[in-house]
Amino acid sequence: MTKMRSNRLKIIFMLCLACVTTGGQHFESKVAQLLQDETEHIKCFVEGKDLTCFWEEEEERNHLHNQYTFTYSYENKNKMACAVSSLSLLASNKTIFFCKLAKTPFFTTLHVQVHRDGQKLYTRSLNAENFLFLDPPRNLTVLSSGKEGQLNVSWLPPQLKYMDDSMIYEVRYAAEGSDLGKVEVIKVSTMLVLLGLESDTRYKVWVRVKPDGVAYKGYWSAWTEPVFGVTPPSDVDPLIVLLVLSIGLILCLLSLTVILSHQKFLLKKLWPDIPTPEHKFPGLFTVYKGDFKEWMSHNNGSMWGRSVHVYTEELPSPLEVLSEVSLTSHDTSHREEVKPAEEDEEKESERSDSGLTDRWPDPPHAHWLMDQLRALQENPESHSQSSLLQSHDTYVTLNQGDIEQQADDVFEETLPLQTLFSSAGTPSLSISHSDLGSLQQSSGSGRLSSQSSLEYPNHTWPPKGPGYAYMAVADSGVSMDYSPMSSSRIAELGRHRIYTNDYKNEIFPHKWPLSGQYIKSG
Amino acid sequence: MIQAGHKTVRKTVGLFAVLLMVLEWTRPGLSSPLRPICDLRVLDHFIKEAWDAEAAMRACKDACSIATNFTVPLTRVDFDVWEAMNIEEKAQEVQSGLHVLNEAIGSLQASNQTDVLQSHVDASISNIASIRQVLRSVSIPEYVPPASGGEDEETQKVSSISELFQVHSNFLRGKVRHLLASAPVCKQGVS
Repeated sequence: MTKMRSNRLKIIFMLCLACVTTGGQHFESKVAQLLQDETEHIKCFVEGKDLTCFWEEEEERNHLHNQYTFTYSYENKNKMACAVSSLSLLASNKTIFFCKLAKTPFFTTLHVQVHRDGQKLYTRSLNAENFLFLDPPRNLTVLSSGKEGQLNVSWLPPQLKYMDDSMIYEVRYAAEGSDLGKVEVIKVSTMLVLLGLESDTRYKVWVRVKPDGVAYKGYWSAWTEPVFGVTPPSDVDPLIVLLVLSIGLILCLLSLTVILSHQKFLLKKLWPDIPTPEHKFPGLFTVYKGDFKEWMSHNNGSMWGRSVHVYTEELPSPLEVLSEVSLTSHDTSHREEVKPAEEDEEKESERSDSGLTDRWPDPPHAHWLMDQLRALQENPESHSQSSLLQSHDTYVTLNQGDIEQQADDVFEETLPLQTLFSSAGTPSLSISHSDLGSLQQSSGSGRLSSQSSLEYPNHTWPPKGPGYAYMAVADSGVSMDYSPMSSSRIAELGRHRIYTNDYKNEIFPHKWPLSGQYIKSG
Repeated sequence: MIQAGHKTVRKTVGLFAVLLMVLEWTRPGLSSPLRPICDLRVLDHFIKEAWDAEAAMRACKDACSIATNFTVPLTRVDFDVWEAMNIEEKAQEVQSGLHVLNEAIGSLQASNQTDVLQSHVDASISNIASIRQVLRSVSIPEYVPPASGGEDEETQKVSSISELFQVHSNFLRGKVRHLLASAPVCKQGVS
């Protein structure tokens, strides 16, 4: 029996010691904190349901606790005494005297006083419900929620009656190794989800508590011990990846469709064909290996015959060769040839060559001209005087034939010619010389089929009525040396377009719209 | 025969209709029960306004001085003693205290005071009435005047308006709030 009683006493003593130790740890920390924060001489706080007031020993004084008396009163009642105790704080090497009220009246004004050796030392009036000093929250846990950048924090409130719904919490968190932390305030609830955290990072979390200030007021509790939590690593949402891939695939298909539908156009723009003259010289590069002389000699006749069909881009300009020799025998034929030529020329709308404005039509008298030129080439002696290809001075002037029919074709642009060449010549064809005055003309073609330029005979030029002069020069690749010629009408030769184009010459600004055929000087 | 039966039925219906109309008009004193207001945030709202009034009266010294004394209830709460009391005792203590407080603050309405004081007086009177409704909703017994007719022991005297409003806020924060928190109706749904 005696042994059992002693064992029980020992157990109770150990439990009490444990409680006191636990409470003492919190008590000392609270005292230490209030020693720094509270400015009043008598520092009071409520722990649990009891009010504790303490004061600091004066420096270099070794008073005993029994020298102090602590009294309190409320509601005009008589003063009541409280037992004074002392405590030495090891951390700050200070001594405090304190008194713990056994039955603390709340919601009423307390008047406390401290006397030492009969003398009033300190006094203070306070309401106990306004000085709650709670213990830190319990069981702080930090868990990963599974979502990126989030942590779930939860805790339990300090053990205190009547005040569970009157507490406010403060959560502090910071990445491990970082001094910068953030604070979140939360009311009543004992859990919080931290958002906006870095992925795959270790965080430290602290929590503290305080009364909300409506029914009870007090100090912030001490921070809990830090608890660590790790945020999950960043995870790419598979739906986003799938969407991005789908959009990329659709864009690729669209671009491919566009490219394929405009393949030729794009190829032409991006990789234009280098123009080659092969198609204009059939067999030149394939058969004769580029030997032009050989090719010319072998293809001379056929070239002329096929010139109409071979040269598709350059429309041959019919030429009317002005010759000193009277070509009366050919006059009518010229007229006949000219008329349909003019008619054809009227039908032309555009030309494909650059630099020139009008598209020269395929004149009906081109064959006659071709024959003439052929004849000239075959019999150069007989036509030497009239061969323009070889002579500077020979050119043929032709009229349109029936003046009456051609009266409408006369434009005002022919007047300058008439004024310049005022001496009226009678024949439709006349002989002109190169030493006569010349009106310079240049056609704005960059593509010279002929380097020739022609001269007008000024005084022997009979531009009467619808008469006009024009000169045709056939170009077979041979350069001609002609002096500049002005305002001469150039007819087509086959499908070739032949121009006078001397860039050094000045240009007459006006056109010569003769039956729709224009000489563009540019 | 049939005609007589019809007449009888008509008379009965008419009397019944008249009876219903009379009952609807008089409305005998059975009132529908109020839904219990157990959320303490409702009372916290009134407590916050009492804080504001106390702070305003503390700042107003000369203008808010008055010669007479006020009889106010005791506001002290000893938790050990409080926990030992039953609900009826707590209810009586709270209801009588509200009655006394209402009379003390109400006495200021008649006197000429500043607009600030008057607004706080009116708000406090209105809040006490609302608190009574809240207590009624949680089935707290109504105030019963003491049969003895003597002065209630649970009162004290204060000599300033600031002390009056201090007592007012302390009473609401203490006794009234703990009574509401411990109301049996509110604890029934809590395991």
